[in-house]
Amino acid sequence: MTSDQETGPRLEAWNERLAEYEAARHMGAFRSALRRMRYNKLLLIGVALAVLVLAAGILGPVISGVDHTLQSFRDTHLPPGSPGHLLGTDHLGRDIAVRLFIGIRVSLLVAAGVTALSLIMGLLLGMFGGYLGGWRDRTIRGVVDFVWGFPLILVAVLLAGGLGGGLFPVILAVGLVNTAAIARVVRGEVLALSEREFIEAARAGGLSTPRIMFKHLFPNILAPALVLASYYVAVAIIAEAALSFIGLGAQPPTPSLGGMVSDGRNFLQQNHWESTLPGLTIMLLVLAVSLIGDGLRDVFDPRLRHEAKGVEAE
Amino acid sequence: MKQLAARTLYTAVVLILSSVAVFYAIRLSGGDVTAARLPASASAEQREAFKEQLGLNDPIYEQYFNYIGRVLSGDLGTSLTNNAQISDLLFTHGRNSLILGAAAFILVFAIGIPLGMLASLRRNSWWDGGIMTFSVAGMAVPNFWLALLAVWLFASVLGWFPSAGCCSPRQLFLPAVVLAMEGIALTVRMTRSAMLENLNLDFVRTLRAGGLAEGSVIGRHVFRNALVPIVSLAGLRIGQIVGYALVVETIFGWPGLGQVLVNAVLRRDYPVAQFFSLVLVTIVLLGNWLADVGYTVVNPRLRKA
Repeated sequence: MTSDQETGPRLEAWNERLAEYEAARHMGAFRSALRRMRYNKLLLIGVALAVLVLAAGILGPVISGVDHTLQSFRDTHLPPGSPGHLLGTDHLGRDIAVRLFIGIRVSLLVAAGVTALSLIMGLLLGMFGGYLGGWRDRTIRGVVDFVWGFPLILVAVLLAGGLGGGLFPVILAVGLVNTAAIARVVRGEVLALSEREFIEAARAGGLSTPRIMFKHLFPNILAPALVLASYYVAVAIIAEAALSFIGLGAQPPTPSLGGMVSDGRNFLQQNHWESTLPGLTIMLLVLAVSLIGDGLRDVFDPRLRHEAKGVEAE
Repeated sequence: MKQLAARTLYTAVVLILSSVAVFYAIRLSGGDVTAARLPASASAEQREAFKEQLGLNDPIYEQYFNYIGRVLSGDLGTSLTNNAQISDLLFTHGRNSLILGAAAFILVFAIGIPLGMLASLRRNSWWDGGIMTFSVAGMAVPNFWLALLAVWLFASVLGWFPSAGCCSPRQLFLPAVVLAMEGIALTVRMTRSAMLENLNLDFVRTLRAGGLAEGSVIGRHVFRNALVPIVSLAGLRIGQIVGYALVVETIFGWPGLGQVLVNAVLRRDYPVAQFFSLVLVTIVLLGNWLADVGYTVVNPRLRKA
């Protein structure tokens, strides 16, 4: 238990951190993050997967040129590899590949809507609550905890029940619950930041409250909020799929991955691909998004990475 | 104690607020309610008369107080689609949901805790790696997809279990496992990290140094300490199970509360949707409250405050 044993690796870690800090000062935080990004394998795999899926969603329908609503009662339940239908057809003779591509678009549309909504609302609510404090903080926290206390699917079913199915209620419901998640974390970050000298200096210098919030607090919470939001993209994709599966998400004839899994489940025994292919696509999407989320956390929050390393090295 | 009273009061307030929120959410659907009962050819007057008869033209707050009054006096009303008594639905489907939910709840701990312990005691081994991979997968896989894979493999291919139906033990197995999966994955992680945390504490070293048998150190001291956060937060799993039951019951054709709610929402059967929303919201809030109570009871710092 001599102290010499510990100084070796500790010192190294410190030097590494110092170098990182210096690099960050010279290059700007984002550019140093970009540099670190290149060395992050998980992130690269995630991005590659996501690009692949995105390309399929955007280019797939254009290239194949098949109408996703086209039904053909002669060509129902064709297996994958059939001529003209690369991944086969479903119970109405619709091309599964094209429906998958459109389904990916729907998934990503919902995910984008949810993320935009929850990120903006979460940042604003968390920042106002955390920085202003007092009754405003208590009110915001009350509302946020209220939403956070309920399971996502229950909230979504209730909202969809009120608003009547379709993609908008799904985006609203999942967006609301994710807003609560992001607002909670942002508020914590803001509380910690408010104690720091640079915020105190800004206050002492007589800067207005909005200016402190948007010029000084905001840039510092953006990175953690983005990382968190990338996690909740996966949540949004899964929730949309689950709701479409039980019939509350995308309404026919709009194909959605969850809806396709549901359509196919009556034919599971003979033609399992009608369900398994969209299911696999959902998993692929979720995997890509989660890898990106993990990678972004490593890149933007080196503190967490050091902790993770420490645990492994223990 | 003060803390507990405050949490109880908070839960009561939230319960009232959410009943109002649910009521308004269900009313947002507007004129469509008549579609559940009247034929498409019904005239505008017929629809109006129907709405009048249901009291849907009164101000919403008035409807709310009338409704709560009726529910509290035991008059739950009838379904719009098939005239079933909602109280009958509550008892038959409630019983089924209770069976499924309780089975899932037990599985969460009966499987999650032993696996988590095994992972922590065989740390960094193949056991640990395998169990933690299973745990990560359990949290990442959407449960309706897991349900379908389970139906495909165990019902269609192997034929070990029926793919749907209620309520024999064989029919219960698949939905209960699927419903419990995310809870199991979470409990494994919590158990493992709580065990590891305690294994590294000084008192464990002292016990070992004092010559206590390893089984005794683990079983009587480390495990009991590690169990505290897991059991005290068990209430949170109730809310999780209620949420997933909406999906899992639909997939497995398990006639429970979740299935009733989803069908009522899809068919715009507002009296049923409204009542069962309230029931599920109440169960979730009770679960959250139990977790609050559990956490306060085991945490002396909160108890004194």
